[in-house]
Amino acid sequence: MKIRRRREIAVSEAELTALTADLADAHHDTLPGMLAAANEMGASRRSFLLGAGALLGGVAIAGSGLTNGLGSGLGLGGGSGIAGASTRAAKSSGLTGDLAIVALAASLENLAVATYQAGIDAATAGKLGAVPPAVVTFAQTAQSQHRDHAAAWNGVLTGAGKQAVTGVDLTVKKSVDQAFGSVTDVPGLAKLALDLEEGAAATYLAAIGAVKSPAGLATAASIHPVELQHAAILNFLLGEYPVPQSFATTTGARTTSDKIG
Amino acid sequence: MPIDDPRLRDLLEQSQDLHHDAMRATHASLDELVELGHDDRRAGHRADVQADSQAGGEVPSSVTTRSLLSGLPTGGVLAAAGLGTAMVALLASPAFAGKTADVQMLQTAASIENLAVATYTTALGLDFIGGGSANPVVKAFVTKTKDQHADHAKAFNAAVTRLGGKPQDQPDPALLKVVEQAKPSLTDAGAVVALAIELETGAAATYVANVPQLANKNARAVTASIMGVEAQHVAILNAVQALVTAGAADLIALPPDAAQLPAAAGSVGFPVAFFSTTDARPATEGAL
Repeated sequence: MKIRRRREIAVSEAELTALTADLADAHHDTLPGMLAAANEMGASRRSFLLGAGALLGGVAIAGSGLTNGLGSGLGLGGGSGIAGASTRAAKSSGLTGDLAIVALAASLENLAVATYQAGIDAATAGKLGAVPPAVVTFAQTAQSQHRDHAAAWNGVLTGAGKQAVTGVDLTVKKSVDQAFGSVTDVPGLAKLALDLEEGAAATYLAAIGAVKSPAGLATAASIHPVELQHAAILNFLLGEYPVPQSFATTTGARTTSDKIG
Repeated sequence: MPIDDPRLRDLLEQSQDLHHDAMRATHASLDELVELGHDDRRAGHRADVQADSQAGGEVPSSVTTRSLLSGLPTGGVLAAAGLGTAMVALLASPAFAGKTADVQMLQTAASIENLAVATYTTALGLDFIGGGSANPVVKAFVTKTKDQHADHAKAFNAAVTRLGGKPQDQPDPALLKVVEQAKPSLTDAGAVVALAIELETGAAATYVANVPQLANKNARAVTASIMGVEAQHVAILNAVQALVTAGAADLIALPPDAAQLPAAAGSVGFPVAFFSTTDARPATEGAL
């Protein structure tokens, strides 16, 4: 990876590194609790699915009131009706209700991890020109956090006796691959990452309107703000206003009709 | 407060356009909330509320039961339903309406937003934040963030009103003490940013904690649409604080000279993968 020579900020760099290390410790303190909450959701879902939960089968996002723009930043098509989407969810992943949403979330997180890896690989191969060190740190940290998010959601699935999702959201991947093909520099990659982060955040916001399990709500609520934090820093690095809206929206949210594989 | 830099002004105008789109969506949630509130009042008993919930409507019965009955022994489905019916009869009376957990959480949220507006207003009165010696990006950020908190306060108070509660125009009293104690020490940008991080983190943590607790789906939607924005404020403030602390305040610019930013500046904004609720304020703290 090509790193531009930068102005020496020796003391500040040391301070920042120490601060970052403290924050990493804080993160590792938070992670076990979140995984426990996710597992709690998985356990409750398992018993739930054996009982009256069957009534909810195929209505994953019914009643959410969400008619979303579906990956607008990535040039994906408009959303289908919620009822239709949830019906197809059962066909796509074999899961219904909250678990179909969990599988979608895991697949989006896996896609984010893979896309950041592709970006890091391209940078390392010198395909993006000079890469500022702050961008390297951003990509590595964001990727690590998306990996944690995927683990949390997969913990729910395995806790419910289902298989973890190791694949990605193929519907979004198609557009990501197309966009990635034309990325030649860091701003291009940052814009692609921004689309992914905003799409993930929008999906979590939509999920909060759809998920029934309190533990699932808590997990989605704890991840959505972090995706928006990634987006804020990306906007800043791109020279855009970092917090452009007073209210987050579901524009660009994915639905459970997406193909996962 | 006028923003002098043309580039910043353009960005803020673009942001305003996005904001209007988002406001339309939020108003839609609030409008639904009004309709559902009317429906609830017409229904007047829990059975109808449960039917609404099962039909994809409002107030999930299990959540409401949990928040109202926590700590009480359970006696099976019928026992819970009987007590629930009684509680709904209580809730239907105007005197009790403002005391529901949802209303209290929304009132506290509004009070936190009121405090944020007041604090940023105070900060803008300081020359190094809102005056001639201020970094223009910091000044623009504080101005815009104050306005966003004012939007949030309006949204929370609209939700409070539409659920039958009393809107909150006062700041959160516990946090107000923190701000008042901090005021004498606000002698440089770093101190102001540190205080702002504390307030923004508390706000975001409170809303993250409230989302799974709110029974009313639309109150939850409004809260959820705001929590991530507060987290974004935290991210940018974290980055600003790191640069100010490092003596590199000149790198706070739009666009920044990314090549000059220290490596750690890329990740200091988002320290944890899961937003913690450790700093959440008690649900009733601002429900005056």
